Amino acid sequence: MELMNNVKIKSKNLNVYYGEKQALFDVNLDLNEKEVTALIGPSGCGKSTFIRCINRMNDVIDICKVSGNIEIDGVEINDKNLDVVSLRERVGMVFQKPNPFPKSIYDNISYGPKIHGKGETKSELDEIVENSLKKAALWEEVKDRLDEPGTGLSGGQQQRLCIARAISVNPEVILMDEPCSALDPIATAKIEELIDELKKTYTIVIVTHSMAQAVRVSQKTGFFHLGKLIEVGKTEKIFKNPDNKMTQDYITGRFG
Amino acid sequence: MNFVLIFLITIFSLSLFFYGRSKTKSISIEKNIKLNALPKFYGYYLVLWCSIPSLVFLLIWTLFEPVIIKSIIIETAANQGAIFNDKNEANLIYEKIKAIYAGTYFGDIDTILKESALSYAKFINLFTNSKIVLIFGIVIASVIYSLKKIKNNNKARDDVEVILKGLLFASSLIAILTTLGIIFSLLFESIKFFSVINIFDYLFGTNWSPQRAFVSDASAITAAEYDELKDAFGFIPLIAGTSFIAFIAMLVAVPIGLFSGIYMAEYASLKVRRISKPIIEILAGIPTVVYGFFAALTVGPFFRQIGENLGLTVSSESALAAGLIMGIMIIPYVSSLSDDVINSVPQSLRDGSYAVGATKSETIKKVVIPAALPGIIGSVLLAVSRAIGETMIVVMAAGLAANLTINPLESTTTITTQIVMILVGDQEFDSPKTQSAFALGLTLFIATLVLNYIAQRAVKKYREKYD
Repeated sequence: MELMNNVKIKSKNLNVYYGEKQALFDVNLDLNEKEVTALIGPSGCGKSTFIRCINRMNDVIDICKVSGNIEIDGVEINDKNLDVVSLRERVGMVFQKPNPFPKSIYDNISYGPKIHGKGETKSELDEIVENSLKKAALWEEVKDRLDEPGTGLSGGQQQRLCIARAISVNPEVILMDEPCSALDPIATAKIEELIDELKKTYTIVIVTHSMAQAVRVSQKTGFFHLGKLIEVGKTEKIFKNPDNKMTQDYITGRFG
Repeated sequence: MNFVLIFLITIFSLSLFFYGRSKTKSISIEKNIKLNALPKFYGYYLVLWCSIPSLVFLLIWTLFEPVIIKSIIIETAANQGAIFNDKNEANLIYEKIKAIYAGTYFGDIDTILKESALSYAKFINLFTNSKIVLIFGIVIASVIYSLKKIKNNNKARDDVEVILKGLLFASSLIAILTTLGIIFSLLFESIKFFSVINIFDYLFGTNWSPQRAFVSDASAITAAEYDELKDAFGFIPLIAGTSFIAFIAMLVAVPIGLFSGIYMAEYASLKVRRISKPIIEILAGIPTVVYGFFAALTVGPFFRQIGENLGLTVSSESALAAGLIMGIMIIPYVSSLSDDVINSVPQSLRDGSYAVGATKSETIKKVVIPAALPGIIGSVLLAVSRAIGETMIVVMAAGLAANLTINPLESTTTITTQIVMILVGDQEFDSPKTQSAFALGLTLFIATLVLNYIAQRAVKKYREKYD
């Protein structure tokens, strides 16, 4: 019997509206520290909306309104007075499509630390860049061409570059929004391997459409449908013996 | 006469449309065959065949008729003993003959003129009659040909397609040929100019005063005269003035345009954007002459007033006033283009930046603008070529004296202003003064062409990156 880790992120009665349309209904979900939580569910079910609440990325969307609570380490983040910049420093994000900046590989990684005033000297920055790339398992492939544009890498390398970019500011949580959906199987395998490694240091939330991926990488799985969290539990249990009929139907491919 | 002909041809071909349509319908019913195209295409086919050859013929005839008649008349007049020493005198006599024919000549009419006028009348009649006969011939021939074709159930749809393609091709050909024509006329006149003035004296001369260039005989310029001349056509003050005013304009237009573009693209709410963008674009719709008198009557004197209060001598026509107004005129080009360019930077890049904790302005400064930079440079270069080619504002507000100066408070002049000055009023086309306008035009053309080329390359390169 493995031990459940501490709760890192706790959402209580989280509701999200896009204009008139409600996207999330009273979501109560606990995410554990140094663990991978997978969120599954059909398209448009609100999984991405949920993780975008954790680093307040929904602020960027004008018409989006969030109510309810999200706590990280017991501190409410859904608070107007909260400093979003330092929140996002703690909660990094990797997107569906690799989105490296049209800058050099080095500048892609050093971008975040520079903004937060980390790495005052060149050698400190060099160190951050090297460490981030090593943690993202990209260092060996790019160490000789750090000044080449990040956009010139392959899709899988670009996504690892984006993971390195997220790591560079030394976050506690990494959100991944379908990080492998634009990648081929080999690149996907590499990213999954990497996620497995990263969970030793970070709390990871991953949205995925691939049930197999959820099984491979996560310890906990939440199933969303039409903006509601239908069922959440240990990944093993959700996929072998779900309580809810709808979860059963979804994971066996009857809808979705 | 021509209008009557065109009208008749049009009416006739339109009626052929209905004939062709119903004829083929009845053929298909009578003989119980499937037509190769819809009946209306047979109608189109007849229309095109009836109208195009005859109209093209009419056009060509109309272009060449006066030329041919003129040469015949001048020759007959010469045979009858008219004396003219050169082309101009011949033209004069020809104009007199035409006036006599039209009944608007009130001078003395001698026998030569009278005879010529009579033969002119004869030729006009002859040409008009033969034109009518030939056009009817052409119409009948082409109608017979096309009727025969449609009776044989030709593939009218494909044939119409081919004819239309030909028409479209002809239209683009006209556009291209016109452009080429303009370029060549610029080129030839410039070559004439450069055959008198050494190209290096032009390109590197520092004094521009073409009014000084009196030449008794352009075909035989003495060495002494040339020494006078070569100093009058120095290009440097003009390019300096042009660049200087364009530079002032860009100092105004680039920051304001770029910042308003950024505001529009990144900060403005949809509502604000919907209202303010068209308002900014109205600036681009104001006629430049309006900007010109605004610059000359309001801004120029205003600067002079301020200058006087500060104890500076400010010319009432100054590079500063012209450049400032020109900059305002160019703002919408920069803002609208950079707004588009910034908008096309993918949202995912901004998300990536926000996700590591960057604020909005950091994201714009460090991610969005660098990503959009090639496009922004492109829009700025387009604005520069607009500034260089702008005429009206500088004519009215910058002054005419070709001062080689970098003092923005003094009057200066530009290439375009000088072209206007040279070509306004009476000209002698064989004097280097007039020809210098073409050389200036050619230089300006090359400069803007190069700038536009670079700008479009930059914009294109940018597009390829994200599409």
